[in-house]
Amino acid sequence: MAGMTCDRVRECAPGFVLGALETDEMIAVQDHLDSCPKAHPEVNELGGVLPYLAASLEPVESPAWLRQSVIEAARSDLASRRLIGEPFARRLVDTPSEHHVAAPVAAAAPARVISLNAVRASRRRRAAVWFGRAAAAALIVVVAGYAVVVQTGVGKPQGTDEIIWNALGQPNARPAVLVAFDHSNAGGLAVLMPSGNIVVTVHNLQPTKGDEVYMVWLTPDNGLPSKVGSFTVDDSGVGDLNVDRVPTSESLWIFVCKEPNSNVTKPTGPTIVSGTISL
Amino acid sequence: MRDLEVVPLPMVISQAPSDDHSEAELMRQVAAGEIGGLETLYDRYHAIAYALALRITTETGLAEDVVQDSFLGVWRNASRYAVDKGSVRGWLLAIVRHRAIDAVRRQRASVAIGDGADEAVPAALTLPDIWPEVAGRLDAEQIRRAMSALPPAQRDVLELAYFDGLTQREIAERTHAPLGTVKSRIRLGLASLRDQLVGLNEVTMAASPSGSKKGMA
Repeated sequence: MAGMTCDRVRECAPGFVLGALETDEMIAVQDHLDSCPKAHPEVNELGGVLPYLAASLEPVESPAWLRQSVIEAARSDLASRRLIGEPFARRLVDTPSEHHVAAPVAAAAPARVISLNAVRASRRRRAAVWFGRAAAAALIVVVAGYAVVVQTGVGKPQGTDEIIWNALGQPNARPAVLVAFDHSNAGGLAVLMPSGNIVVTVHNLQPTKGDEVYMVWLTPDNGLPSKVGSFTVDDSGVGDLNVDRVPTSESLWIFVCKEPNSNVTKPTGPTIVSGTISL
Repeated sequence: MRDLEVVPLPMVISQAPSDDHSEAELMRQVAAGEIGGLETLYDRYHAIAYALALRITTETGLAEDVVQDSFLGVWRNASRYAVDKGSVRGWLLAIVRHRAIDAVRRQRASVAIGDGADEAVPAALTLPDIWPEVAGRLDAEQIRRAMSALPPAQRDVLELAYFDGLTQREIAERTHAPLGTVKSRIRLGLASLRDQLVGLNEVTMAASPSGSKKGMA
């Protein structure tokens, strides 16, 4: 799919805007759009139709509790960001120069073995619970799915992922799915062992340059972020970290920032991925 | 069959939406972490977001999860919203659709675990809603009529792609149609729908003094 021509992109545009191409075609079209000096108005023209497909639906009133749940989760998220001193965005992007395509789903759809109903029921009971915990419940469902996949031998990982996948199968392991903080493709997994050992792997990262590092931070309940460790990334886009004796608490927010060097004592760079580790 | 030809949109629908200012201000509030902004956003768009999530997931619980996750996604990424790239509604609905399709695929994968399903999920597109002006004038009924006016085969492939998240290849398998035919139907369906919406907008504008005024601008 590499080296797609403008004509080919025009040909693929209808399927592209609908997300209906095969994955390699989607990537090839997006790569072309990202790098092509020529305008491709057909993408915007056709993409502009999509919201009207949704607009053909009759609006449906959502349950009242859902609004409360969303707002409470946002409040909790806001509180946790303030806690670590992460500023909210200060401006909107006025004139982006590139086609805006969200990241592909962070990970290939995993097998899910825990009923969402259980997660949902729990969420409803705790409608005002801290966002991190609610999100963690859903994330654990995902990770549990991964664990079962490993145990059943389906899609068994290889290479650098093997350590973390093995850790997922350990009793009392506390996993977290690390999802992109913005629209990048980055994503990964972290597993905290009862011994205090934490294993982290993140994929689709930009390579580091010079002294740059990816720094892993952990924030315990109502605490300040503490540095776990750092790693560099080469052209493979994969970074790993394995550290003993990290601080633990009932719920931990883990996040990875890109920092200018490994000497920083508090997060300064952009957050790349984050996740919640819960009991 | 005619090939798709991309023609410039009429000036009036290329312009920024009339409520661009309030939408931009709303997103500025959300990006700044103002809860009130999120409340307004939710109140304004939750019903269409929920309808879309329900249509895709066909399950109320899953749809509720999708709506919650989508609004939180907007909350956390509001700074990424680009004013000149389309309406907030279009952006939000793209997120809802993406997450709903993802949720359905995850569910499907859990059923198919024994088959080693490894479906790749297509990238979610947050392409701009370039016709916010149209959206302001056309109501759902008009858009439904435009959809209904499509040849059934074209409407079906659009719905399978948009609401069911199927790839062209999957649609070909589902409908037992050649892949090339599916691609043509999608291309013609989108182009036809677009043309109809443009036509509807012109009719609506002609009937609206304020719309005509805007058209002259």
